[in-house]
Formats: sequence, C-alpha cells, structure tokens
Amino acid sequence: MIPLSISICICLLALFSSRTFAASDYHEQLILQPLPSSSLLASFNFRSNASLQSFEQQHFRFFPRSLGQILQHAQTKELHLRFSTGRWDSESWGTRPWNGSKEGATGVELWAWIEAPTDDEAFARWIALTQSLSGLFCASLNFIDSTRTTRPVASFEPAGDHFPSSQLHLLHGTLPGEVVCTENLTPFLKMLPCKGKAGISSLFDGHKLFDASWQSMSIDVRPVCSEGDERCVVEIEQTIDMVLDIDRSKRPRDNSIPRPVPADQLACDPSKTYNSENICYPLEKTAETGWSLTEVFGRGIKGACPLIDNEIPGSMSVCLRVPHERDVFITPGAFESKNPDGFSRCYILLSPDNFDLVLPEQELQLKVPLEQPVLHAERTIIGHGQERGGMQVILRNPSNTSTVDFIYFESLPWFMRPYLHTLQARLAGIDGLQRQVPVSDIIGDIFFRPAIDRERGTQLELVLSVPPASAVTLIYDIEKAILRYTEYPPDANRGFNVAPAVIRLLDKKDNSTTASPVYLRTTSILLPLPTPDFSMPYNVIILTSTVMALAFGSIFNLLVRRFIAADEVALGSHTLKARLFSQLVVLRDRLRGKVVKVE
Amino acid sequence: MILSAVLLVLLLAIDGLQVAWAEHTSNWAVLVSTSRFWFNYRHLANVLSVYRTVKRLGIPDSQIILMLPDDMACNPRNAFPGTVYSNADRAVDLYGENIEVDYRGYEVTVENFIRLLTDRLDKDVPRSKRLGSDSGSNVLVYMTGHGGDRFLKFQDSEEIGAWDLADAFGQMWEKKRYHELLFMIDTCQANTMYTHLYSSNIIATGSSALDQSSYSHHADNDIGVAVIDRWTYYVLEFLETQVTTPNSKLTLGDLFDSYDETKIHSQPGVRWDLFPGGEREGRLRTVVDFFGNIQNVEVEGNSTESGSLVKDLAEIAKLVDRWRRRDQEHLSTTQNNTNSSPLVLLGNEGRLTYAPQKRIAAATKMTSEDCWSKRLVGALILTGGVAVWVAGSIFGQS
Repeated sequence: MIPLSISICICLLALFSSRTFAASDYHEQLILQPLPSSSLLASFNFRSNASLQSFEQQHFRFFPRSLGQILQHAQTKELHLRFSTGRWDSESWGTRPWNGSKEGATGVELWAWIEAPTDDEAFARWIALTQSLSGLFCASLNFIDSTRTTRPVASFEPAGDHFPSSQLHLLHGTLPGEVVCTENLTPFLKMLPCKGKAGISSLFDGHKLFDASWQSMSIDVRPVCSEGDERCVVEIEQTIDMVLDIDRSKRPRDNSIPRPVPADQLACDPSKTYNSENICYPLEKTAETGWSLTEVFGRGIKGACPLIDNEIPGSMSVCLRVPHERDVFITPGAFESKNPDGFSRCYILLSPDNFDLVLPEQELQLKVPLEQPVLHAERTIIGHGQERGGMQVILRNPSNTSTVDFIYFESLPWFMRPYLHTLQARLAGIDGLQRQVPVSDIIGDIFFRPAIDRERGTQLELVLSVPPASAVTLIYDIEKAILRYTEYPPDANRGFNVAPAVIRLLDKKDNSTTASPVYLRTTSILLPLPTPDFSMPYNVIILTSTVMALAFGSIFNLLVRRFIAADEVALGSHTLKARLFSQLVVLRDRLRGKVVKVE
Repeated sequence: MILSAVLLVLLLAIDGLQVAWAEHTSNWAVLVSTSRFWFNYRHLANVLSVYRTVKRLGIPDSQIILMLPDDMACNPRNAFPGTVYSNADRAVDLYGENIEVDYRGYEVTVENFIRLLTDRLDKDVPRSKRLGSDSGSNVLVYMTGHGGDRFLKFQDSEEIGAWDLADAFGQMWEKKRYHELLFMIDTCQANTMYTHLYSSNIIATGSSALDQSSYSHHADNDIGVAVIDRWTYYVLEFLETQVTTPNSKLTLGDLFDSYDETKIHSQPGVRWDLFPGGEREGRLRTVVDFFGNIQNVEVEGNSTESGSLVKDLAEIAKLVDRWRRRDQEHLSTTQNNTNSSPLVLLGNEGRLTYAPQKRIAAATKMTSEDCWSKRLVGALILTGGVAVWVAGSIFGQS
C-alpha cells in the first residue's frame, strides 16, 4: 500500500505546487509504515526551492550554498545523488517507496545533466563535479572516472523543466563498493535548513540509520518552471528511506548484542507432542509489534522545524500507515487527522516540544494491504573457473493478465567482457518449464557500447517485454580480464564489485510525463577475478637477482682475470727488483742442480 | 655592569614572551591510519581517538585531514553499528554523530599521502582534501599502522619509506608549508621512521625502537579484536586527563616525560635535533601548540595605511583594463579563426590551441539489417579468396 501513501503525497504536492512559486519555501514530511516481519519503513522527505534568479546570484536561503556553488561551477542543471545500503525485500515488503525513483544502486550512484558545448567539455565538468561532491559528501566519488562513466540513452529522462536551447549531456556513474556511513549522513544533515536540530530530521541517528535492513539517501536538484509565467525555481529534494528491524532497533546501544529470550517469557506451542517444561517450540507472534519513536529511533522529534512554511496545510506532518483500529498514543501538542481510506493518519505538530508516538502491541483484524511489485528481477554470475563465466538475469512478471515493458540498463567494468552474440533468452511459463526462445521475441532494441581496456566500461541497454505469468532468463557469456599487478586493490581476493542493473518500467497506457517513472534495481554482484599470489613477484625478483648476480659474477671473473699457475705467481711479480731476484733464485737453483717442480 | 644586567633582564623577558605567546597563526592535523581489514580495528580506533582529542582542543574539521583506509563503524562484523570504541568500557563513541572523513578506503595510498603533504594535487581536488597550511601553521602528523625497519605499510599492499617521508617533509619546509611540525607514529619499530628526517623545525616521537614491536593495549570481547595500541593509549591518557582545556600550559616535555616503558612495553623515542634550540627549546612548546587551535593574528604594517589602499585600487584598475584589452584581442582572433578550425579552445595563457573534433562514442542501437550486410560482405570476401586460391592451384599445375 506504499503507492497509496505516495499518491497521497503526490496529491499533497499537487496541492502545494499551485503556490510553490510564491517564495522560497520549505516542507518536510515523515511517513511511517509497519511492514511484515516486525519491520518499520520510515520515509523522510525534505523539499525546498530557490528562484532561478536568486540561485544564479548566489543568494541562497534554504538551498544549501555549498551544493549550489558546486552545481554552478560544474554547470550542472539537474543532479541526482544516491547513497544506499542493504536490499529491499520486495517479496515480503511489496513495492518500493517512491516507486523506486528515489532509490539508488548499492553504494553510491550519481547522474546529472550537465550543460556544455561539447562532449569533452561535459566530461571535464563531470569530473569537476564528482571531485567537488567527493569533498562535500566524504565519499570516494572521485573514483567515478571514464571507466565508470556511462551515457545512458533510454533509461533516464530529465525530471526538471529545461530550456530547449540548452545543450545538456547526461552522465551516469556508480560506485557499487562504496560504504555508506555516518560521515555521509553528517554533510546530508548539514544541508537541511534545520540541520537535524528540530523537526523530523532530529530523528536521524547514524547508529540507527546504518543498522537498518535497507536504507537509501537521495538528493535531487532540478529546475521547475510553471507553465503560466516565466519564472523558474531550482528545487532540491532530500529523502531518506529506511527499513528498521523493530526488535533490533529497540535494543539499548550499550548492550546491543542479542541475548536469548528468558525461558519464562517464551511463548511455546503446546500442540507439539514433545512440548514439555524443558522443550519448547516457539510460537510466532501474531500481534503487531509495539513500538514508539523514542524506542526505535533512540529519541523523539524535537518539535517542529520553525522554518517550515506554515501557510501550506500539512507541510510538516508525520503520517502513519496503520489501520484505524490500531491504538496510537501521542504526546500533547499535535493535531491528528485520519484519512478516509481507513489506513492512514497524519499528525501536524504545533508546539516546539518533543513529540513522540507510542503504538502498543495489539492484535489486529485488518492489516494494511501491501501492493505487489509489477516485476521481480534477479541477477547473478554463473559458471566456474578463473577465465570465463556467464551473467544470468531472471525477470519475473507476476501478473496474470498484463505484459511488462521495461528498459534494462547495465554498465559493466572493462575487466568483465561480455559476448553479446551469446545472448540467449529462455522463457518459463506457469508450468515452470524453460523453453529457448529467439532473442528478438523478448528484446525490442539493444543499445550497446563496447568496452575499451582501461578507458571505458561496457554499456548495455535492452528494451524488453515479459509476457504475463512468466519468467524470462537472459544469459550471456563473459570473459574475465587479467589485470596488471598494480591495478589490483589491496583486498583483491574479496572480488570486484559490479554495479547493479537499473530497470525502468515503461507505462504504455498512460503516456503523461507527470507520473513519476517506476524504477527498480537489482543487487550488486561480486566478480571474482584471477588474482596473483602477491608475494610471488618478490620471490621471483629475489631469485632472479641471485641467479643474475651469480652468473654476472662468474662471467665477469672469467673476462677480467688471467688464470695462472701457482708457480707463475712468483714470476709475475710486480717490481723489477723482485723479478730480478726471482730470476737469480732460479739461476742459483739450476747451478746447484735442482729441478723446478711443476705442480 | 648595570647595562648588562638590564640586557639580561630584557633577554629573559623576551624569552618569557616567546614561551607565553605561540608564534604560529594556524593549526593543522594530518591523521593517518594505514591498515585495512577488520582485525586492524585498533589502528582506526587510535587515529579516531586522536581525531576526537584535537577536535576537543579546538581544531575544526576543515583543518583536520582524516585518512581512514577501511570502514569499521558500518562494517558488517561490527556488533555496534555506527560506532568505533577505543576502550572496552565503551564510554565514548569515537565515530559519534558528526564526523568528516577526508580520505577513505582505496584513497588512502602512499601517493595520495605525499601529494597531500606537498600539495601536488589536481586543480579539481576540493579544499577539504587539501592541506592548506602555510609558513605560520603548526602541523601535527599522526600515523599508525603496521611497519618495520624504516618503512610503514599502507593497506597491506604498498609501503612508505623513511626516506620518502623525510623528502615529503623536506619539500614542505622548502614550500613554507609549516612553521613547526610534530610527527607522531605508533607502529612496530616506529622510531626508525624519523631517523632520516632532515628538514628544520620538526619534533618527532615514536612508540618503539629498532627491533621492538608496538603492542596493543587491550581487547573488547564483544567487538572481538584489540581496540587500542599501548603507546597511543598512554599518550591519550595524558591528553585526556591532564590537557583538559585549550588553555593548558603543559608542555611537550611533560608529555614525553609521561612515557612509562613498563606500561608501554617498548621504548618510545623522541628526536629533538631538528628543532632550533634543540631539546631545551622544544621541551617548552606547549601541547596545545600542536593539538589545540590557538591563533595569533599577523598584522602587516603596510596594509594599514590609507595611502596603500588607494595605490592598490589603482593597480587593480590597471590590471582590469589590461585584461579587457587582451580579451578583446582574443575575441577578434578567435572570430577570425573559427572558420578554419572545427573547434577552438582557449588555453590558459590566452594562446590558441587547436583540438581535432572528437566525439565520445555513445551507445549505438544495434540493427539486424546492418548485421546481414556485414555477413554478405564477409561471404563475398571469403568466396573471392577461395576463387583466387582455386585459380592459383589450377594455373599453378599447368
């Protein structure tokens, strides 16, 4: 039912948008939704804007100056930056928040529309952008070089309103191995008008956020122009979505090691034959887990952010997606409004005091229905050995009636060489039997840019359609390149990260551009490459040096030394006097009749 | 007689003044851990403890360059996500809620470290990744990791030698990138790392002598690995218990006297001879001269005069005028040249450089017709070759 909440959001946004252009304004919203298996989805959204004129004059109010100046320096008109960790479990949690449009690939993902007269200049500005952002967000974004940069053809479309005259270049880069941690949250918070001191952003705590099962931070900057008048605004939207494990989050920080439940608190299944005092088969809880904001986030909301535009209704609200029968206790100073759909309610904070929500443990008759995703995607590396392998993508359409059309985009590192001619498709229907089908039956268009070693990676975009109630398996062969000795990272034996594939669903029925596109991403994969024994070169160098020293020494000896018999040593003496003396000795010996012994 | 006495008093007074007033105008800290992998948790904890200390004593994040080669806080092995502890009592979370890591992961390399010190960086590199120190800056360089006789390993894959470090500091001194430098290192055989330093105004200290190991202090059973090294532990103990405020008057002499070999289990070393005045002068430097952020303001005599401002303005106006004229010249030359060349780039010095038109290849749509025509061409070439071969063999026989 997340899309429903999103649609409410969009409705609210639509409400705001009529007055969006009045002044620079700021909104924030938090949507909380308990998910199955005692998880909690928290979606934070912060949105503010600045008029294009004030943006260009570097007159910033809510728009963060640090980011604004970088965007101006790199001539970036639209920016999307994502920091994500974990995996969204779509089988049990349903569709993704924001339809996946605010989500990124594992690690860091960045794409931007840059204005530049030529491709080369656009790339130079892109490098300036990544370097500057790496300093701002404490992430290794400067590693997005030409090998990790792609220019997708069909997968992304600008979300903002751009002047038709501007020459925009789309550049995209992913760092799948990048760790997301507190140092990335710190600058993210500093960019918010209330800086985590008040409002819903005061809930952010690195200890809880990075303990989440899945989390995604996003920053989107885009120009928005209203159709009526010529005035444009630059809009910045920051979101954080996370799925917390309620039980884990409730553990105290200083004692976060899980301990077994004491025997007297265990709920046992008495129907089991072996059930006794000592043997227990634990029962699964049917009741909704009880939680409160302070328990889950470690703190409550420190009042409303005073910078919020109060003229717009619902601009600062905390929304809860639970059935109306669920008991919710709140601290005084907030105004509750229940949505007529029966599954959501919102709170508008009025006082600057702390706000807390408490949901006790409760048995529920009715649960919030989860909407199932339209497509499941799974991507793995298959095959064995150090030299070759294969890539397998399984795309499953759970719907029984409608075909799913989408664009599948992947960028592969240069050391992973795909053979596109080996691309084959298998189709499995309801019976589960896999049948080989011609590739052209499934794939419409292929956009492909082959890799060049150490210069650029492979870029592949497929326009696909999966028939109802069936799964398509795409397989192609890959070859693993052997890197140079110095190109291996310090932890080469861990494997090399390959960026996740991005899937953009094409909605045929509704061609209106206002609907936000639906995205989903596969998990990133780890590619084991043949790695050398890194100490071996030293052994080889040492051994070779020894052999060379030995060979050189003996050859040099042979070349520069004259080998003479022991008795010649005396003859070969240096001084004339010594030589004369030795001749005299020899002469004397002869006179005495001695024979010189030759040894 | 009286004159000499007065002189003596004056000299003493000046001496006293020097001690009381730090000569530097800014403080910078370069804190480097060089070890990757979970079992080296303690090296990151070491460096983060020093980070917390210098931050506590007043150096802002913008003047601290923190290099962390691995992620311990958000490591899946960490039972306490988002935290790094340097003590088994887990009283202080070193990662906290506000941290800025400037170089992390694979960015921590010998090359980057030396480039940072000597400021040989690309123009796009942001300011937070640069050491912006000048001739008035006191710089604290703290390093920890695994080392040996005159080398320190970086991430288990490369190493920095004592000579490289000495040359980097030498170049910093030549480029006037520090006023005084305190070099601290905690690694096995640490004292060998500073033996080759040769540039002036450096005080160096290390945890262990040649052929000695540097040991860890204690382990945390829930984290599962050692959390801090001995030397760093006792240095921090001194800093945390004695140097409690940025106004502390404790000196480096006091800090180095606090070393206790029976506790540290190795022989820490100090090198004074590069410092002007040697040990006598060096011992008088306060700890907060390097760990704190006490700043003196330099006032230049000339700029305060009102006349110089007018002169400066006139100079600027002249410069602007000259640039405008040059711009116009460029404009006229570029307009003349645009017809002859497809692409004209303006170089930094205003010279005209011609670049051949190059398009970065974008992904192209694959079409099957194209494929067939290529196959046809291939087949034609093949049949042609076969025909030549057959003809050759027939005519060759006759």
